[in-house]
Order: sequence, then C-alpha cells, then structure tokens
Amino acid sequence: MTATLERVDVARTAPAKGRSRARARHRLTVLAFLAPAILGFALFFAYPLVATIGFSFTEYDLINPPEWIGWENYAFMFSDKLFLTAVYNTLWFVVVLTVARVVFALGVASVIARLKSGVGLVRTLCYLPSLAPPVAATLVFFLVLRPNEGPLDALLGWFGVEGPLWFADPVWAKPGIAAVVLWVSGDLMIIILAAILDVPQEQYEAAELDGAGAVRRWWHVTLPTISPVLTFGVVNSIILALQLFTQAVVAGSAASGSADVTGSTKVLGFPENSTLTFPVWLYTQGFRYFDMGYAAAMATVLFVVSFAATALLVQRMRRASHQEAS
Amino acid sequence: MRKLHRAALLCVAAAVSLTACAAGSGEQAGRSGPAAAPGKDDKFSLTVWSNYSGREQDEVTKALESFKAKFPNAEIRHEGSQDDDKITAGIRGGNPPDVAMSFTTDNIGQFCSSGSFQELKPYVERDGVDLGQIPDAVRSYTEYKGNRCAMPLLSDVYGLYYNKDMLAEAGISAPPKTTAELLDFAKRTTKKAADGSIEVAGFLPTMLFYANRPPIWAPNFGAKWETPDGKSGLASPEWAGMLEFQKELVDFYGYDNLERFRAGLGQEYSTDHAFHQKKIAMMIDGEYRTAFLEDQAPDVRFGTAPFPTSKPELYGIGFTTGTIMGIPKGAKNPGAAWELIKHLSFDTDTIVDLANGIKNIPSTKAALADPRLEVDENFKTFVDLATSGKLQGNPVTPIGDAHIKAIGDFATSWQAGAVPDLMAGLREVDRQIDDRIAKSGK
Amino acid sequence: MTAVGAARPVGVTRPVRWRKGLDWVAVHSLGLALGLMFTLPIVFVFLTAVMSDSQAFTKDLWPREWHWGNFVEVFDKAPLVKYLGNSMLYSLSATAGMLVSSVPAAYALAKLRWRGRNVAFLLVVGAMMLPPQVVAVPLYDTWSGLGLTGTLWPLIAPYFLFDAFSIFLLRQFILTIPQSYVDAARVDGCGEFQALVRVVVPMARPGIAATALFCFLYTWNDYFGPLLYTSEKPDRWTLSLALSSFKGMHHVQWNLAMAVTLLIMVPAVVLFAFAQRSFVRGITFTGVKG
Repeated sequence: MTATLERVDVARTAPAKGRSRARARHRLTVLAFLAPAILGFALFFAYPLVATIGFSFTEYDLINPPEWIGWENYAFMFSDKLFLTAVYNTLWFVVVLTVARVVFALGVASVIARLKSGVGLVRTLCYLPSLAPPVAATLVFFLVLRPNEGPLDALLGWFGVEGPLWFADPVWAKPGIAAVVLWVSGDLMIIILAAILDVPQEQYEAAELDGAGAVRRWWHVTLPTISPVLTFGVVNSIILALQLFTQAVVAGSAASGSADVTGSTKVLGFPENSTLTFPVWLYTQGFRYFDMGYAAAMATVLFVVSFAATALLVQRMRRASHQEAS
Repeated sequence: MRKLHRAALLCVAAAVSLTACAAGSGEQAGRSGPAAAPGKDDKFSLTVWSNYSGREQDEVTKALESFKAKFPNAEIRHEGSQDDDKITAGIRGGNPPDVAMSFTTDNIGQFCSSGSFQELKPYVERDGVDLGQIPDAVRSYTEYKGNRCAMPLLSDVYGLYYNKDMLAEAGISAPPKTTAELLDFAKRTTKKAADGSIEVAGFLPTMLFYANRPPIWAPNFGAKWETPDGKSGLASPEWAGMLEFQKELVDFYGYDNLERFRAGLGQEYSTDHAFHQKKIAMMIDGEYRTAFLEDQAPDVRFGTAPFPTSKPELYGIGFTTGTIMGIPKGAKNPGAAWELIKHLSFDTDTIVDLANGIKNIPSTKAALADPRLEVDENFKTFVDLATSGKLQGNPVTPIGDAHIKAIGDFATSWQAGAVPDLMAGLREVDRQIDDRIAKSGK
Repeated sequence: MTAVGAARPVGVTRPVRWRKGLDWVAVHSLGLALGLMFTLPIVFVFLTAVMSDSQAFTKDLWPREWHWGNFVEVFDKAPLVKYLGNSMLYSLSATAGMLVSSVPAAYALAKLRWRGRNVAFLLVVGAMMLPPQVVAVPLYDTWSGLGLTGTLWPLIAPYFLFDAFSIFLLRQFILTIPQSYVDAARVDGCGEFQALVRVVVPMARPGIAATALFCFLYTWNDYFGPLLYTSEKPDRWTLSLALSSFKGMHHVQWNLAMAVTLLIMVPAVVLFAFAQRSFVRGITFTGVKG
C-alpha cells in the first residue's frame, strides 16, 4: 500500500530522505483536507452508532442514568404488536415503492427519451413536483385524493367509478402515500433518462439491422446497458422506503380530522395504524414515550437492514467499476 | 466558526461524560425536604414554561402576574409553546424552568415515576394545604401511586352537545339520558340520501375521531382501566358493553357508508367541524366547544347535557382532564416555584379570572362556586358536572399514553369488523398493556 | 416540431413512414399526458390557494372569485417571515458549511492517493445510506445535554464538518476532471491546496453548484430534523415544519395552507429555473456508478 503513495506524488528521482519528508508532508495534506470530515464522521456517525447500540441494551428515559437491562428491549419487540405492524408497513413500502418507483421512473424516462421535441419542457414538468417539500406534497395529495369531493374522485365520478377513501381507509392509505412518493420521484426519472440517452446510438442501429423492433431494442439494448443505474434506483428506493416518515406522519394527521400538531401519538398511524412505519414507531417510542432504550434497539435493527442494502449497492458499484476497468 | 468548534468540543466532552450528564444537577430539593419559601419582599425571578400560545398565553401571563400581589418583587418570565419533550430536554440539559406546565395528563406517570417532577408532598404537609379543595378526579390525575408531583391548573370536562333544531325536527324534546336513548335518537336524527349515503349522522360512533376517545367515553359506561389488583382491566363486561354500543351504531350506518361520510368531514378545530356544519346532531366534547360554537357557528342552536350513561344510576358522570404544573428536577428556585404553584392552584380570584379568560373549568371547589365565574346555560352543564364529584380522570401509568393508544387501536379494528371475539381481543390488549408496564419496571 | 418522416427520408417506404407518424403522435401525446399528470396537482393547489375560505374545502375546482390577497394574508396569520428567516438561516449556513468541509474532502477522495482511501469512500457511502433515525437517539441526547435543542445548531453544525451525500456527489464530479490537469498544476509547483483552488474548483464549478443546490433543497425541505430539534420552540420553526402545523395553529384554512405551499416552493423553483442545467447534471451524477 505504501507503494501507491510513493508512486503518485513523489518525484521519481528524489533522494530517500527527501522522499520520506515529502511523504510526511503529503500525509499532512491529506489529513488537513479530511480533518473536518473525519471529525464530523466520528461525531455524527461513528459515536452515535456505537452509542445507539449501547443504549439499546439499557432502560433510558433521558432523565435518569441509563440502566443496563441486557437483551430485554430486543425481546420485547416480539410481544410489541405495533412493532410487528410497523415492520409490516415498512416492508410493504420497501417492496411496493422499490418496484413501483423504478418501473414508473423507467417508464416515464423511456417515453421522454423517445420524444423528438419538447424533451426539456416535459422533463421540467415531470421534475417540478420534486421541488415540493414532502410535507407540502403530502398535503397536496390529501386534498387531491379527498374522498367524495376531491378532484380525483370527481374525475372517477365521470366514469361512474366511486373512488376509494385513500388516506382514510387502512387499505388505501399506503397506496396513497406511495402515490405521493411517485409524484416526487423526478430525480430518479432524470437519472434514468440520462442513462438512456447515453446508450450509444450504434448499438441501436446494429439491433435495427438485425430486424429488432422498438420494443425488442428497448428490451435487449436499453435495459441491459442502463442496468447499473437501475440497480442504483432499486437501492435508493429501498433506503427511501426504510426511512419513510414525513409523508406517513402528515397523511395520518391530516386524514384523522384531528387538529393536533403532527407527531401527536393520538393520530400517529391513522387509520388503524396502517401508516405507522418503522421510523414513525421508533420516533414515538423515543421522543413521545421517552423509552430511549427501546427506540435505540429499533434503530439498531434499522441499521442492520439498511447496512445490508448499502452493502448490496457497494458490491454492485464495485462490480460495475471492475467491468469498466477491464 | 470558533463558536462552532467549541460546540464540537463540548459534544465530545458530553459524549465522554454521558452518564455524569444524565445524572444531572439539582438534587437540592427533591426528597430531602421542602425548600424554604421566599420572604415577602425578596427579589427573585421565576421561569414558567407552558404550552399555551396566542390569546390564551396572554391570559395565563395575566394570571401569573397576579402572583405579585403576594410577592411584589418577584419577576416572572412566561415562555409559551413548550411541550413535554421540551420540558424533558430542559431537565435533561440541567436547564429546566422553575415551573413547568403540561397540557396533557398522559405523561404524569412518567414525570412522577422518573423524578422529572419533584415530589410536592413535603410542601403540601409543611404548608397544611387542603387538597380536599380539589375535586377527586382532578386530584387523581395529578398524582401517581401516591406520589403527588403536580398540581392542576383549570380542567376540561366532557359532556353531550346536541343540536336543538335537529332533535326537535325528529320529535325529540329532551336530550338522551341513557345510551339506549342515545342509540334511538341517533337513528331518528340520521338522514340518508336516496343512494343510501349519509347526509346527517345523529351521532358519530367512529372511535378516535374528534373527541371519540376511549378515556372520554369510558366513565359513562362504567368502564374501569384497572382490576383491583392493579392489572389492566379492559376485559370486563363494561368495556365490552361500550364497544357493543359503538358497534351497533356503526352497523346501523354501515361501516363503509360511515367511513365515506366521516372522511369528508372537516377538522376538529376548524369552522368545517361537522357539528358546526350541522352534519351531526349529537356529539361528546369538552366545555371549550361552547366558546368555539358561539364564535364560529352562531346559527347553530345547541344545548349541552351530561353525556348519556349505560346505566341510569350512573347519570351525571363524565370525563375530566386538564393542565398540570410541577417543579422540574433541577429547578433553580423550588421554594418560590411552590409558592407560585400554590397561588395558581388555590387562589380563587386568579382561577376565576383565568377560567373566564380561556373558558375552562376551575379546578377548586371554591372557584367553582364563585359567583364571579361567568356561567351561561350551556357552560353550566359542565360546571355542574365538575361539582358533582362523579368525574373520572385519565388512568395514570408510567407508559405515557401507550395504554390509551392500545385500546383506541383495538376499538378501531373492532368497529371495522376485524375482531371476531371481543373478550379475547380485550384480553390481548390487557396483555400488551401489562407487558409494557412490566417492561417500564416502575 | 419537424416531422419524423423528414428525419430519415432515405429508403423509407410509404407505409413505414405512415407508421412512424402514428408512432410520433402516440409518443408525444403520452409525453404530454405525463407532463399534465405531474403538473395538474400543482395547478389544483394554485386554484385552491386563490379561493375564498368557504370555497376551498368544497367540490369546486375553479375559484368563484380570485382572492390574490390570500398570498398576503398568510403573512398576517403566521409569522412566516420569521420561519422564512429560520429556513434561510438553516439552508444557507448548511450549504456554506457543506462547501467548506466537503470540497476538500471530496478532492482528497478523488484525486489524492493515500492508504485507506477506498475504505474511507465506503464509509462515506455507508453514512449516506444511513437512515437519520438510526443515530437520532444519541445525537438528540448529546444536543439536549448541551442545552442546544430548540436552536438551529444541531441542524447546521454537522454540515460544517461532514455531509456524506455532498462528499459523494462532489467526488463523482471531481473524478471526471482529467488527472493530467491536476498533475500539470502540481508540476507547476502548486501545492495540493492551490491545485484544488486554482484547477479543480473552477473546473468542477457546475458540480459544486449542483451539490450546493441539492444541499439547499434538502435542508429547505427537511422535516425530520426541525421536528426533532425545534418543534418545541416555534421561534425556531422552519417553513417546512410550520406548514405541517399551520392547520393546527389557525383552524384549517386550506386556501391559506395551499398558498403557503406555493410560497415555500418559490425559492426552489427560482433556483431550479436559474440553474436547471447544473441541476439536471447533478441529479444524473448521483446515479452514475462509482
């Protein structure tokens, strides 16, 4: 490994003494550039991560000193019905959002990529909603999907269809939130669009000479070429789904008819805990019930899962860069 | 930048001395005995945190200022919009207020059992304060397992609201007194459109909507939270009776119909509220609604009455809750803080003025009987309820409102028809609550 | 709007041309439909925002009267200027802090060779992917121990040290700068610092702009952070947090809530309009493989 260091930045003919001094200076430079990042990583990631794991073995209410209770918090997860509900809800989002988001973004991007004119305009229009804060986007959908009187129900009414109750119905609340997330997934669309536009034209031409139609060209040329970006989309969507908090909290609060400021335990998860995601329950435990130990145990579980997802991304990225190098 | 690095350094220090920090300062009062009261002319300052804002905050500030009649040189800083998280954070950071006011009684068990709020018993005994002045229910929601760590500041009382015109239209002359009557009247005042959808609901039985919460309903059905041996006691005929009443009405409307109707209703504190919009004929709500209705919906002719009960002999019972205040652990001036709390809890003039100001129910017997209390016909119902001695407060546990959430969740799946066996379901809720209480270890 | 048939005239027989024309119409109407689908909710928000209070929560889609005053009225209803100030303070300080801390770190990850660089990069990716809720408990514990909850410090301070996403993105940009430029600067006797300032920063300007925009947008729209640290202190609320509480504070007035929604989006839209190219480039880069 030291060989790398020398090879790069030290003049090849330098005498040994100068070389080691240069190496030391180089190290200092690197350190100087990285100092804030190292400190920040240690303070805001490494320490809290270790502390989270530590707290997860304690009973801690923020007031009295933490008290060691071993695996009790983890054991309690199995008798906490809402923990299982929260796991189910979040898994639902992981599965549905990952598939829906990638397919949806891919579909939209594929259409835009085929446009001969107006690409910029359509792209801008599709991206515009992504600029809305999640809170605002959710409130917008709450109004748009309002049962009986909202514009979507009015539209469905023209076709003689009675729309669902969306955020007020435990079956439809999650799809409603998924719709919000899809509406603001303009960034993934643009990523995929760029990847599609980057596919070398020659590949299409070759396929066309082989007599492949548009659909087969898309299937056999476009998809394989942009697969690394799709992998990114999948992992990014998993992480996004694991973190889903804001939309769930705002949708539940708005639909419950309660005027309680968001975050109140009275409305979390409304209706029937169908929007109680893992992070929402974690937040409730830690910052509403002051059971920091249990919240930390849940955080540790979340960490393990998101770590697995990250490992998947890193592995794929490595493989991609290997392919590129070879 | 320099400031920032200091913050970062502090971070490290805090991380290292985490437990030391958590132990915190300010053991001076706590269990060792009451702190001395200040002299009459002493100069001192007190910080008060509350969750009030806007007009209500101004009224409370006025009430706090009346303290100066007793201690002319006191200085009181009142900070509004501070919820329970902030209070905990303040205690945790060793920088709490002298007096903390909490809007909910949900966390009282937590505050008392964790020592977040100092024990007030030594002060009560030293000063010979007569707690009998406070109605029983109010007294019960300001203490936990005999540990008095808070005092009340006004209270809310829940009763029946009914739309006089809508009842009259259905040929009903007096509000319902039993839940059987309520059921009957609700059906008679309900209006359905030709396609079967609801236009007006006589009484909305949907749990967790508006004030339809289990603790608010429970007293009128004689439902108790605990068994005599201190376990969660939801698997009882009374709770089952309450849920069956609810289910019968839900089935009358049809669950899907009802959900569709409810989803279109306005929010609890908006002018779109269903009662304001004459979309429901009867509801349960707190005394504060009288002020909202007079202000926002003057065309609604409404009356108030005690909420109907499952058994006639229970009539006149109701739910009560309120704002509580305590001296947080680590408060700088606990002796003076107690004087302020005593003043707000027991000084009749102050309580009456504040009750008139923010339209809440006074929390002492003397203030309830005070002629200066502004009481109109509708508000009187709630004052009478408060003096009846039959009110019941929130069940106090060390697990926040997790037990209330558990039964609320159960009631919503029950009304959706997702519970096959009611008693078995209730026993399961009991188990969850007992487990959580056991886990909290207090 | 050139016809597709004209694009490839050679050797195209009539029926094929006709089919291509149909294809053009199909794809473009689909594109138009997509554009509308994404935009219509915003149009609906706008129409609601200019309705009267009594009309806003009804079936009506079109305002009976245009209440432009709603956009002014919201400033009376809530201390929006204060929230705006807090949001600006949060977003601008965080962005500035991010630039100071992340540009050198990204440069070190992209253009300097040192032992453990790959591991460091993986740690950055890991931190980027970590849900904020995982570290919330101890961080909250620490900040409240310092008495800094209820201020914007817990939100801003981390950006002055470490922002994983920005470092990742900047690294991706800096990687695209040919090594020869950096080497040339070194040969000219520039230290690493000068190479960074004189060569890399000017060349990576679009990337830096895009990263700054992202940082601004993320903090501007952030909800979890302000909810955790400032919810108990309305003086420190940001716009995003205030919006969620808007209905709680003043009996829900949906027309005003929607007016605030539009106002919140203004800075982001303006930034986007001015820097659309950097923006799109930036978005693209996040997806590019390492």
